Amino acid sequence: MVSWMYLELARRNLKRQRMRTLLAIIGIIIGVMTISSVGIFGNSLKMSTIELFQDVANEIVIYPSFPDGYNSIDHQTLRIIDKMADIKIAIPVKSESGLITLGKKKAYVTIYGLEEDGVKELFDLKSGSVSLAGNNVVVGSILAEKFNLRVGSKIGLENHSFRVAGILEEKGRSFDINPDRGIIISERTFDTLYSGEYEMVIVKTVSIDNVEEVSKTIKDVINKRETKIRVWEMKNILESINRAFTYISRFLMAIAGISLLVAGVSILNIMLMSAIERTKEIGVMKAIGASRKEIMLIFLLETLILGAIGSSIGGFLSILGGYGIDLIILKSTKYIFIPKTALYVMEGVVFGLGVSIISGLYPAWKASNLEPIEALRYE
Amino acid sequence: MEASNAVIKLVKVYKIYTMGRQEIRAVNNVSLSVNSGEFISIMGPSGSGKTTLLNLIGCLDRPTKGKVFLDGVNVSSLNDIALTGIRRDKIGFVFQQFNLIPTLNAIENVELPMIFKGIEKQKREMRAKKLLELVGMEDKAAHRPAEMSGGEQQRIAIARALANNPAIILADEPTGNLDSKTGRDIMELLKDLNMKGRTIIVVTHDPVVAEYSERIIRIKDGKLDVS
Ligand SMILES: Nc1ncnc2c1ncn2[C@@H]1O[C@H](COP(=O)(O)OP(=O)(O)O)[C@@H](O)[C@H]1O
Ligand SMILES: [Mg+2]
Repeated sequence: MVSWMYLELARRNLKRQRMRTLLAIIGIIIGVMTISSVGIFGNSLKMSTIELFQDVANEIVIYPSFPDGYNSIDHQTLRIIDKMADIKIAIPVKSESGLITLGKKKAYVTIYGLEEDGVKELFDLKSGSVSLAGNNVVVGSILAEKFNLRVGSKIGLENHSFRVAGILEEKGRSFDINPDRGIIISERTFDTLYSGEYEMVIVKTVSIDNVEEVSKTIKDVINKRETKIRVWEMKNILESINRAFTYISRFLMAIAGISLLVAGVSILNIMLMSAIERTKEIGVMKAIGASRKEIMLIFLLETLILGAIGSSIGGFLSILGGYGIDLIILKSTKYIFIPKTALYVMEGVVFGLGVSIISGLYPAWKASNLEPIEALRYE
Repeated sequence: MEASNAVIKLVKVYKIYTMGRQEIRAVNNVSLSVNSGEFISIMGPSGSGKTTLLNLIGCLDRPTKGKVFLDGVNVSSLNDIALTGIRRDKIGFVFQQFNLIPTLNAIENVELPMIFKGIEKQKREMRAKKLLELVGMEDKAAHRPAEMSGGEQQRIAIARALANNPAIILADEPTGNLDSKTGRDIMELLKDLNMKGRTIIVVTHDPVVAEYSERIIRIKDGKLDVS
């Protein structure tokens, strides 16, 4: 039966050297705080990056399987996909490189053949409207800027004159299509100008949770006999980002862990000092019947108290720390008060306690192994 | 000296320290027997080996050669855990410098050996209180060692030595740090304990202190002085 007295004894021993105890606790606080707040920040960084991809995560891109001799996606395939369940929209894409004339200037740009609802689904509009009827076209933001295009501007293409009905927001890097430097015309117009086939189909599922199932069904049905298509899920990117940021986060935490290591060394140091200073006392305790186990327990309890106090304060402060870093770097604190934060705080606290105990082991072992007569002779 | 009655028996005990090439025989071929209930003093000049001898009897140290029996058990062959148990249950130590634990108050110091033994709180506190009364220190239960005089600290130390009701009390110059009046009070206390049946060995170089014992063992250069 272990008595509470051991804990009390440990507490009083720590009080004997207030300054030293305080410094050791501060070391642990800093260590735990750094680890946890870096963890919290890493997670916020991940979450805010993933958020950018959230609205494309339900996207599945279908390509013809080039290695198997397919260069386009046929109408039959498109009809099958169109009829599948859990699909919000299937957007077939045609594109061609074409020479446009803008007054006296000429430029080669990518011409996309799409339908209006597909354009609305895939892109955001900066000005004008998404209209592809008649001789209306929609242009990308970089093209519009470069040639000073406005809603109503005229564009010449393959001896026809078109009118800019809408200008898109810049899309930036993208994994499906990027019309920033291109022009979008309706599929019907496209077919009158070019003879291209569908080069990809962009499928949006009803929800992110349907992605795997829909993707599998498409592959199973279309590629039943031959591999006609390849399917690529945007969600993969999300998962890669997730993984990459988890690694980054772990790496940052590991670096932050060095501060905890330093705290551990300082605990090791003060507990060794303490063991040496209390050599005589240890000798007395052994003389009146303390075993190694009990001496070890008294010393370990001291480091455990240091660790527990330091870790809990550090854990609490790490939330403030994470809040501060998020505010400064991400300019947003919306990812602080989420369950995941508790996990990082817990991790910091567990590491803090672990480091304290490990640092305390050697001094405790050393104290417990003192020979009683040697210890009693010590002045 | 019937073996059956001897609580302590030393047979050709040596404690030899080697310092470089030099050999120090701190205890040199000592044989000795102490009966239950005896009050013995060990006398000798400084450095003669008194403390070393007492530590061997008290299981704080192992002999280089020879055998030490306590209650007929050869303790020289026991392991660390067993020796710890003997120190805790069968022996009570009293030191010259009192050696109370500075962070604990009087009653907690008395409880400490009982804590090591795993005695439950209530029982422990009751017994500690009784022991404080026995040594006349019941008023100082809540005082820390630093708040007490030398004589008071030594009384607490004696109460602590009695905590687990040991058969043997070993005191190494218990009056060495006290004035003569206080020293006599402490010796009276030890005498009382002896009257109640406890075996007591006191190391001293003060003849007045030795007066309290029934038998004086003299030691010189590690050897018993049989004159
Ligand atoms: N650990 C040790 N190492 C070397 N010599 C020791 C040690 N302990 C005691 N001695 C020596 O043994 C002798 C007896 O010491 P001690 O028993 O302390 O004497 P006393 O208590 O009679 O003054 C002394 O010469 C002392 O220097
Ligand atoms: Mg001595």
